[in-house]
Amino acid sequence: MDMSRRGFLGGALATGGMLTLAVTFGCGNKNATRIHHADTTGELTANMYITVMPDGRIALTVNKAEIGQGVATGYATLCAEEIGVPIDRIDVKYADSQAAMRVSSNLQITGGSTSMKEGFKTVRHAAASARDMLVAAAASEWKVPVSECTFGDGKVMHAPKREAGYGDLTKLAARQPVPSKPKLKAVKDFTLIGKTNNRVDARAKINGTATYGIDVSVPGMASATMLHGPVYGAKPDTVDDAAARKHPGVIDIFATKYGVAVVAEKYWQAIAAARDVVVTWKAGATKGLDTDKLAAAMRDYDAEDGAVTFERGSAGKALGKAQTKLSAIYEAPYLCHAPMEPQNATVSVKGGKAEVWAPTQSPTITQAFVAEALGIDMDDVLVHVTLAGGGFGRRALADVVAQAAVCSKRVKRPVKLVWSRESDMTQGFYRPIYAIKMDGGLAADGHATALRAHAISQLIALSSQELLGAALPGIPNAMKNMVVDSLLAMFSTSSVGDLFATEGLKDTPYQIGNVLISASPVQTKLPVASWRSVGNSVTGFAAESFIDEMAHAAKADPLAFRRKHVKDGSRQARVLDALAILAKWGTAPALGIGRGVARHFSFETEVGEVADVEIVDGRIKVRRVYCVVDCGIAVNPDVVRAQMEGGIIFGLSAALDQEITIVDGVVQQRNYDTFPVLRMFEAPEIIVQVLESDKDPTGVGEPGLPPIAAAVANAIFALTGTRLRRLPLQRGLDESKGNKRPTAATDGGAK
Amino acid sequence: MKLQVNGKTIDVAVPAQTPLLWVLREEANLTGTKFGCGKALCGACTVHVDGAPKRSCVTAAGDCADKAILTIEGLSTDPVLHPVQQAWLEENVPQCGYCQAGQIMTAVALLRANPQPTDTEIDDAMSANLCRCGTYPRIRRAVHRAAEALAKAGAK
Repeated sequence: MDMSRRGFLGGALATGGMLTLAVTFGCGNKNATRIHHADTTGELTANMYITVMPDGRIALTVNKAEIGQGVATGYATLCAEEIGVPIDRIDVKYADSQAAMRVSSNLQITGGSTSMKEGFKTVRHAAASARDMLVAAAASEWKVPVSECTFGDGKVMHAPKREAGYGDLTKLAARQPVPSKPKLKAVKDFTLIGKTNNRVDARAKINGTATYGIDVSVPGMASATMLHGPVYGAKPDTVDDAAARKHPGVIDIFATKYGVAVVAEKYWQAIAAARDVVVTWKAGATKGLDTDKLAAAMRDYDAEDGAVTFERGSAGKALGKAQTKLSAIYEAPYLCHAPMEPQNATVSVKGGKAEVWAPTQSPTITQAFVAEALGIDMDDVLVHVTLAGGGFGRRALADVVAQAAVCSKRVKRPVKLVWSRESDMTQGFYRPIYAIKMDGGLAADGHATALRAHAISQLIALSSQELLGAALPGIPNAMKNMVVDSLLAMFSTSSVGDLFATEGLKDTPYQIGNVLISASPVQTKLPVASWRSVGNSVTGFAAESFIDEMAHAAKADPLAFRRKHVKDGSRQARVLDALAILAKWGTAPALGIGRGVARHFSFETEVGEVADVEIVDGRIKVRRVYCVVDCGIAVNPDVVRAQMEGGIIFGLSAALDQEITIVDGVVQQRNYDTFPVLRMFEAPEIIVQVLESDKDPTGVGEPGLPPIAAAVANAIFALTGTRLRRLPLQRGLDESKGNKRPTAATDGGAK
Repeated sequence: MKLQVNGKTIDVAVPAQTPLLWVLREEANLTGTKFGCGKALCGACTVHVDGAPKRSCVTAAGDCADKAILTIEGLSTDPVLHPVQQAWLEENVPQCGYCQAGQIMTAVALLRANPQPTDTEIDDAMSANLCRCGTYPRIRRAVHRAAEALAKAGAK
């Protein structure tokens, strides 16, 4: 297997926890290897991220996947800043699966909006380390102190006139000790970080040359499609492939535990043949599952609370004493990710080993899926990471890769498996279904005194191995243990209940004296997984709709009510104050427009949004969204703006229209006609303000999403008096036609 | 079957009903045109056939014989970009980038038919192309920017 030639230093690097910089760069006994490599190639491989090429260009190995979030640009910026070259001299490559690259809680993974938070330390450290070796090399050659040398534009300089290009220093630099604590630039000295606005990957993405997983071609490759059953987990019973086998190019048609694989020389031959395969299916794991019934059962679940995930004071007592009490139930459906690039992978299985080319968010998880499918060791699976046409959490799971591996093993050739869009939607790992029951209490002065939230949801992960088996159907056992260990490490919690079900509730920044947050699990056989912003995608809707209801019950301005309940000087206060100015909050909106506000703190980033909404012929139309974000230092401010825009639009698709419904185990949505994605004519104008900060970067890929559904629902309430508490909102509005502003409480409003 | 793709004649041995998308991707090795839905719902596979935008996933290759097919690869010759591509760069449009070839091909056809489109006309023309990353506001700006650039170039 062709291991990366730059991988040889990997073993020298310790892996570390997600929140600490436990990576050391090189060590003494690898110097001989480094020197030999430099002498034979002219390249300085300073550490596992940075190689200085003889022409002075920098090869940067990014241990994250580029799924559109801009990590290639961000990491190139961090590298260029510290090493001292213009960003266009950085060449990004994506790291293959490597033990040394498992630096995110022992996983090599892209998720949790962590890339900049991690890279801000690791990439800068790696680049500064390489730079110090180059500077030390020049200083020793010139016999001058390092302190008299400067660097920049890919050169080391010694005034008045000596200078050497980085490419000419590689062999000497390889002989320098690896600095244990290279000096990083101070924030005030940044010339690229916070000031770069272009993307390094844009050109290839507009001229057709960018290579995604689906574009991979390897010698001897066959192409395949997989026919999946109507019900998740259904296995083929009978297969009549006589007619299909007569199609030109067909190599093999065979039943697997996943479905019926059709392998041909070309993909067009595989899909043509697949149309002539007649399959009957055994009952699937989710047979009998009905989302209408499930949602009703969750709504009617009458336990007052579940496993407590956060408690302060006594919410029960405070509710008893409250002047005004409110109760409401918020609901959200299953959702699929539907990234534009359908699920695909290319795998070559040979001699008990597998080589994978895949658009994956996690090479480690891919190794686990393939290892389990083939019955081999994870270390015998090498994963090459390609560009991905969107991820949103779906590509953190590698079921399609396991299926491609099984195909390759069977036909003894490399196989590229491409799912249909219908398989993508019906064979998903879905955003969990939720019901969140909220109770709130207000004192006579209008201050909130009690907040109780009980999240009933299918769980993405449980801290109990036993429950996990039921909660994570479709995921290999080895993976379950790894996922749980990693999640526990990542969130430093061992609480019962779910790690995600109440995120965004249990960390409420509202200064309310009595808070009780709890979770109850729902178990089905339908696989669920992270979906952009994970639990926050629902808890943001519930928390920020309910605080709006409390504000109205207190007869307070919704933005002022929020501001009154957050700490002065906090990120929440900063964002709300800026948002009020940006959106000119307090000025009357145009006739027919309702304004709603919402904010949410997720992935350590605070985002506030104001939505201007109208209803045209019964259709919710979001005209404009104002967005303020505090994500610490914005490495590339325009990428941050783009991620806010993207999070808002992704969130609007879900807020307005999307739901996965299931009847007798069968997912009813099969393509973009029934699982609609927001289109251009419905996209609002979006005005984003990125707050200045000198704090380390926090997440941006996900935090733009959680506030938008509540901002829109709150705007609809302001416009119509109808409080929509179930997602998607358009369905709720359609069903509520004729409703007037409630004067007496039913399940909400002031009591 | 002979096809005219990006100004070159290629000879392909495929049944006439084979979708043009897969002929381009697998027989002509032009992978810039993307598969998204297979049902003409998302626009990722948009190419021009005799100048008109077509969903290549539902267009039979046999119906394109003797017609001029243009894909993203044929839109410009590196390093010079088509004004629409240039506008896409200047507005930092792409995120994951997967849908952008289809978006650009649709925008080029729009501007050929309507060199100075309004926001509404842009929405009408571009709404058949899905973007899951949410680049729509930037696409709208980029189309306007490209229209200006094309007008300036035409005035010279």
